Amino acid sequence: MTPTTTPPTTAPVAEVPARRRRFSRRVREASLGYALVLPSLLVFGTFIFYPFFKNFYLGLYRNPPFPNLPRKWVGFEQYSDILTSSDFYNSVKVTVLFALYTVPIGIALGLFLAVLAHQRLRGIAIYRTIFSSSIATSVAVASVIFGTLMNPRVGLLPWLGLDPQPPILQNPTWALVAVSVTTVWQNLGLSFILMSSGLQSIPDDLLEAAEVDGAGPWSRFRSVTLPLLSPTIFFAVVVGTIFAFQSFGQIDLLTEGGPLDRTNVLTYAIFTELRERNDPGAAAVLAIALFGITLLLTVIQMRVLERRVFYAR
Amino acid sequence: MGRVAIQGVTKRFGDVTAVDHLTLEVADQEFLVLLGPSGCGKSTALRMIAGLDEPTEGVIEIGARVVNDVEAKDRDVAMVFQSYALYPHMSVRRNIEFPLRSRRVDRDERQQLVEEAAGMLGLDTLLDRKPAQLSGGQRQRVALARAIVRRPQVFLMDEPLSNLDAKLRVQTRAELVELHRRVTTTVIYVTHDQVEAMTMGDRIAILNDGLLQQVGPPQDVYERPTNLFVARFIGNPPMNTVTGKVVRADGDRHAVAVPGGEIAVKPEIGKALDRLALAEVVAGIRPEHLELGADGPIEATVSVVESLGHERHVFCRLTDGQPVIVRQQAAEAAPAEQTPARLTFDDANLHLFDPTTERRVEA
Repeated sequence: MTPTTTPPTTAPVAEVPARRRRFSRRVREASLGYALVLPSLLVFGTFIFYPFFKNFYLGLYRNPPFPNLPRKWVGFEQYSDILTSSDFYNSVKVTVLFALYTVPIGIALGLFLAVLAHQRLRGIAIYRTIFSSSIATSVAVASVIFGTLMNPRVGLLPWLGLDPQPPILQNPTWALVAVSVTTVWQNLGLSFILMSSGLQSIPDDLLEAAEVDGAGPWSRFRSVTLPLLSPTIFFAVVVGTIFAFQSFGQIDLLTEGGPLDRTNVLTYAIFTELRERNDPGAAAVLAIALFGITLLLTVIQMRVLERRVFYAR
Repeated sequence: MGRVAIQGVTKRFGDVTAVDHLTLEVADQEFLVLLGPSGCGKSTALRMIAGLDEPTEGVIEIGARVVNDVEAKDRDVAMVFQSYALYPHMSVRRNIEFPLRSRRVDRDERQQLVEEAAGMLGLDTLLDRKPAQLSGGQRQRVALARAIVRRPQVFLMDEPLSNLDAKLRVQTRAELVELHRRVTTTVIYVTHDQVEAMTMGDRIAILNDGLLQQVGPPQDVYERPTNLFVARFIGNPPMNTVTGKVVRADGDRHAVAVPGGEIAVKPEIGKALDRLALAEVVAGIRPEHLELGADGPIEATVSVVESLGHERHVFCRLTDGQPVIVRQQAAEAAPAEQTPARLTFDDANLHLFDPTTERRVEA
């Protein structure tokens, strides 16, 4: 780069009227802005916006019961059929239950372990590693581990003298709980790491001040730690709920949506429509519904929960 | 009774000894300042009194009670942190109230005590604000209010003024002394600022490398520093110290030969030098005790003159180039820079120190 090659800019600019100069500057800044946004826009457009609208569009066609027949435009008829069906209702119920079983318990357990590991003790790093290790396991691995543990012949349950009939993963009462346990375990590492980092951002001074002020361990936790952790917990609730609504692998590997649809969460219902019933239209409707429910829930959480969150400035 | 007794207290962190066999007694209602450079162990000492750190060895008593095994929350002390450590999610009122809630004081009494403490510190109109909405000085006062609200036996303060700007610091310093007179509680105050120590403390305890150097009223410490560390640490600009040879003239007369001249020594000090069999000695003179004149025992050159308005700091060099500072009142005639001068002083203001032990040489 040789600065001498650029001509002096001050002299010609002085001849241009001030208004025009300002305008050309605005245009230049705006085009630079668009140019910078363009790459993200392309990526989002290709992988998010286009599929979304295409999905919506697919839901407007009803697919024939047999392959190789033409699909038929039905407008919103398919939407209203599916969204009022008892199967859809069941799937929503199962999905919400699944989120309720996994999110609060996962966060509470992660927080509990994070508080335990937040001590200055020799060798505590080993526990931190153990507690966060499940973040390095895939859903498949977690499912295989728990599938084995819950196996009616070689698993842990018969060894403990528990022998539900039918076996737990085929048991309409307990199958969703069993899948939830697997999920909680698999998400525990992430939850632990989130809560640990939240704890570390709380200044020691504050807890020490509370101690000198006469607060016992529980009171310190409730009056100082918990409020200051609220942004982290809020984040974990929102993201955890979205994750829960999108869970698929453990259900596919452990229960395949059964028994009696008791674990047929929305994602699994979408999968069944698409792969087993070859019905992209119905699958698209369910996918749009899942999107809408997730969006709605997130907005509600932001409105309701965020009021109780304290953000330090 | 807010007496605090520290007996033979040591704190080690691994191989590092932060506090080394500290023994110190703080009387009821006394304002004691723990003074030292950063890392000298003063904050660790304070934290051990608070119960936030446990001593490796030694005994700590508060009142008539040994508190080594008493938890911080049950020690009946209050602490003001350098960061103020205000609870950011609570209003000023809730912050001040927190120690009372922890002790299950009932509601009416709580309200009364909070209003009293807030009134004392001029916080009445700020009670519903959050700490983030306060200025540094206001936050500091909230921290103080939170400390005084439950009338503890002892106040512990860890550099409470160091986050304030210079002007506010001077003002708050005086307010703290006033506050201490009003609440008549023992105060142990940690600082690295010798001006704070001099102006606030009934007594100063100076720490260095975890070791207690000297304890005493500020004026005593200033006038009779017990060793070279204290001599150089207290006073601004610091004491001039020059190493010289002990010379014996005829009979009892002793002198210290420094670059550019000889300093005569009083006969009783001369005896002490003989008793200690010192060949060399460190001579110390405070800048305000040195005078520039046409005659005087020591030859020097004026290098730089700094005027502060009310006084002047004259930087001189001895014949070997060692720096010496002379403090002059503004009313005195200013010397010209780069001119020779002679330094003179009153014998009574000379401090001598053993160069190996660094201890003060006393008659």
